[in-house]
Amino acid sequence: MELSESVQRGLQSLADPSAFDQTSFPALVDVSFQSLLSSHGDPAVLDQPQLKQIDQILLKQSHAAAVTLILEAVKQNADKSTVSSCLEELTFSAERIEIFCGTYQRHKKELEHLLTSIGTQPPRVNDVSWRLQYHMKNGQLDKVNEPFYLISLNTETKGTPEDINFTCTVEQLQDLVGKLKDAAKSVEKASQM
Amino acid sequence: MLLVLSEDHKEHLSFLPKVDTAVVGEFGRIALEFLKKGTTPKIYEGAARKLCVPVEMVQHGVEGLMYLMTESSKHMISEVDFLDSVLVLGFVEELNQILLQLYLQHQSQIRSVLSLLPSNLPAYHNVEWRLDVQLASRSVRQQAIPMLSLRLLLMRGCDSCIDHSSRVLQTDPSTLLHLISTLEAALAAMKTSHTRRILRNIK
Repeated sequence: MELSESVQRGLQSLADPSAFDQTSFPALVDVSFQSLLSSHGDPAVLDQPQLKQIDQILLKQSHAAAVTLILEAVKQNADKSTVSSCLEELTFSAERIEIFCGTYQRHKKELEHLLTSIGTQPPRVNDVSWRLQYHMKNGQLDKVNEPFYLISLNTETKGTPEDINFTCTVEQLQDLVGKLKDAAKSVEKASQM
Repeated sequence: MLLVLSEDHKEHLSFLPKVDTAVVGEFGRIALEFLKKGTTPKIYEGAARKLCVPVEMVQHGVEGLMYLMTESSKHMISEVDFLDSVLVLGFVEELNQILLQLYLQHQSQIRSVLSLLPSNLPAYHNVEWRLDVQLASRSVRQQAIPMLSLRLLLMRGCDSCIDHSSRVLQTDPSTLLHLISTLEAALAAMKTSHTRRILRNIK
């Protein structure tokens, strides 16, 4: 893993027992994962009692460095041994490597999921609802007497829901379902390769 | 069912017996053309000049025919009812027959034009799909996420002004299976005895 000089410096001070002691090291590791997973960049994440006595500039540098390392490791899909050898080079003690890598393993999947969601995507279809109606007459026409479906595709783009509504006749719905089944078949075939 | 023609409507159509039957046939053709593609006032002017009558007279005649055709098609009245309805106009038998032929020949076409009018929702046209596997992105390398990209083609509006739109969507394999089973349930609803009873009884 390639890390910039400032990240390396931040991590080296994190490894240094005189800068981060027994209690503040695990606290910072936890905070770093937290700031990625749950606190959405809230600066108050660093307001922990265990981190009070540390120099604030040093604290921020180390926090930024730890977060960068975590993101880079997840991005490269680095396993435990890759991360630990990287930390070893940066003079982390075996005990600290164990703490860091343990937390990394625990949150790796979740972080992967988070990073995968970044980027542009067309709206995702999550569900579909339908209604069968019988069209009898309207202002322009008597004796229409045709069944038809109202289909609503529930889609989502970056958390914003949107419904795509359209009508279709029975034949058109059969066409749609037939094509989706074709697609499902080819997904199944592809998964067996 | 008989059509009830208003006094204005009768007056507008009263122009027809004054011209040759061939002209009535021509008016019928124009009326149907207008129903399909919209009106063009120039045609009224041309016809009025040839027949040496005011433009309004031609316009009323053609529009009266259009209205007669759409109303009869709307209610899908029978041959007998059509003839009985136009009886009040006091036309000669030959003219009535021309009107009836016009109605019978174009009824289904007029109904299909009319059926497109009230649909304000887009209608399904087609769907295209593609199976993709996302392999890597800026934020994560080494992924293998199967994805189904869909292009849903919808259309709305009538013959002359059909508005096609397409939406690109994505879904994952398990949601795809869920969509299929939900929509199959929708198709199955057509075959239930409840639905069949209603379709049979409301005719």
